[in-house]
Amino acid sequence: MKIKSSFPGQGRAVLAFFLTGALAAAGRGAIPLGSSNVQIGGFFSQGYLYDNHGDFPTQDEGGTFDFREMALNASTTYGAHLRVGAQAFAQRFGNIGGDRVLLDWAVADYNFSPAFGVRLGRVKYPKGLYGEALDLDIVRPFIFLPNAVYNPVLRDFASAVNGGSLYGTVNAGQGSVDYKLFYGKIPMGPKQGVAEFYNDFGAYSNPNGGVAHLAMDYAAGGQLVWNTPVSGLKLVYSRSWFSNLQSDGPFIAYPPANLHSNIPKFTWDTISAEYATGNWTFASEWQRTGGTISYGAAPFTPLIVSAVGWDAWYVSAARRFTDKLELGAYCASLKPRYPGSGGSAANKQNDLAASIHYELNEHVSCKLEVHWIDGNYQMFNTPRITNPTLPDSSTVIAVKTTFSF
Amino acid sequence: MKTISFRRLGLLALVAFTCLRAGAAPALIANKNVAGEKLDAATLKSVFLGKKVAWDGAGRITLAVLKGGPVAEEFLKGAVDLTPSAFINHWRRLAMTGGGTAPKAFEKEEDLRKFVAETPGAIGYVDRAMADDSVVILTPAP
Repeated sequence: MKIKSSFPGQGRAVLAFFLTGALAAAGRGAIPLGSSNVQIGGFFSQGYLYDNHGDFPTQDEGGTFDFREMALNASTTYGAHLRVGAQAFAQRFGNIGGDRVLLDWAVADYNFSPAFGVRLGRVKYPKGLYGEALDLDIVRPFIFLPNAVYNPVLRDFASAVNGGSLYGTVNAGQGSVDYKLFYGKIPMGPKQGVAEFYNDFGAYSNPNGGVAHLAMDYAAGGQLVWNTPVSGLKLVYSRSWFSNLQSDGPFIAYPPANLHSNIPKFTWDTISAEYATGNWTFASEWQRTGGTISYGAAPFTPLIVSAVGWDAWYVSAARRFTDKLELGAYCASLKPRYPGSGGSAANKQNDLAASIHYELNEHVSCKLEVHWIDGNYQMFNTPRITNPTLPDSSTVIAVKTTFSF
Repeated sequence: MKTISFRRLGLLALVAFTCLRAGAAPALIANKNVAGEKLDAATLKSVFLGKKVAWDGAGRITLAVLKGGPVAEEFLKGAVDLTPSAFINHWRRLAMTGGGTAPKAFEKEEDLRKFVAETPGAIGYVDRAMADDSVVILTPAP
């Protein structure tokens, strides 16, 4: 079994950056939660990923250590209502991310009252129960959130927007409702994971670089969280959309020609429920996405218009057995709303997962997780994620250790 | 002199420990500048979940919490209906997604009390026996 391991120059620089921040935080006595008005925090998470068929977003070479995230944040307050902060983030997930340091979020947050606050800058994208915490496996029993609803390849597409949000909490009888509204732009480019969807589409010439340009006008949406009168139960509805999601690149049949696509409006609707009782946490989500895509390589092809989108759901359960040990499992389903002709395996992705989470101490946790995946919908064969054969089912084993402070 | 057996000593120790445990109860404490703030159960929950960040007249709210233990467990269950691990994860999520500034966490109750006493706007909890006149003890309305 060939094991791919990569921590090249850039990755080492990122690790040095992270360790410097961690030491600075320790020196300030900021572990775990700060001793002055400036608070520093972060995490480093390194894992090993094995996929028996290479369908997951790693190359078909067996196991890999190209599986890590790291983040470093700092925040401070000015007066009673204003808070500013920012977080840098880097990731390597197979051939996605490349340990490039990105700005994860950066906000100026003015909280007028519990009922109304404003955040400006680069704000996290609220979607479902765990959309804002995609990268934080430290706060959940699972290494991977259900891929059906939280595809890690789309992380840069679903993580944050450059713009702003309004937020607050209002009383609702014996419960309360949290709300968020957001608007902003998502910087896009061909190095992002979302490019794999376009390159896998089969219309761009991958030998000539695949999709070359991605853009959208804006992203907007909102979320309502009903903290119900039933202790531990919350219900969530999220809706968001992208406006004019466009792509350009060399046409597969005639590369000098440009293939342009546009989705005027791509929507995400997510209905969620989470119930925490005693040592148990149950969660379930249903998500529908959709839009209409038009594409063509004028003047060589007519404009083709077709519907696009998928439906997804999962059910999960997790139980904490001791202060240190937690077990969890979920089953998830993902399928296209407009099935293609690729056969039944290409039109589904069912995932059964089981996870063990052990916390060594308040800073370090370890996880072991197994996935049994039936189907290969939204698994890719592109220059960056090379999978010349996509088998009908696969098994993925993931091990991960996270240090947080 | 009558010798006390190990068995009786052990029994006495067990009784003493049980009495101490039965008497342990969390007290909500705050800096003296918070004494005039209106506080009910819903507001207390809003404070400890990071939804209310400022007092009406006492400046920014600074939360002080214990890292673990029975006092933390009992207080958090009553105030925010969360286990200590769920409470920690709630604040990790907020701090690492730009949604808030995490509380100050302490191993020892005397350190927490000292911090609250010295920090305007601070609020926290300790075992009732650890509260003294350097802080105010608050009793939220239902």
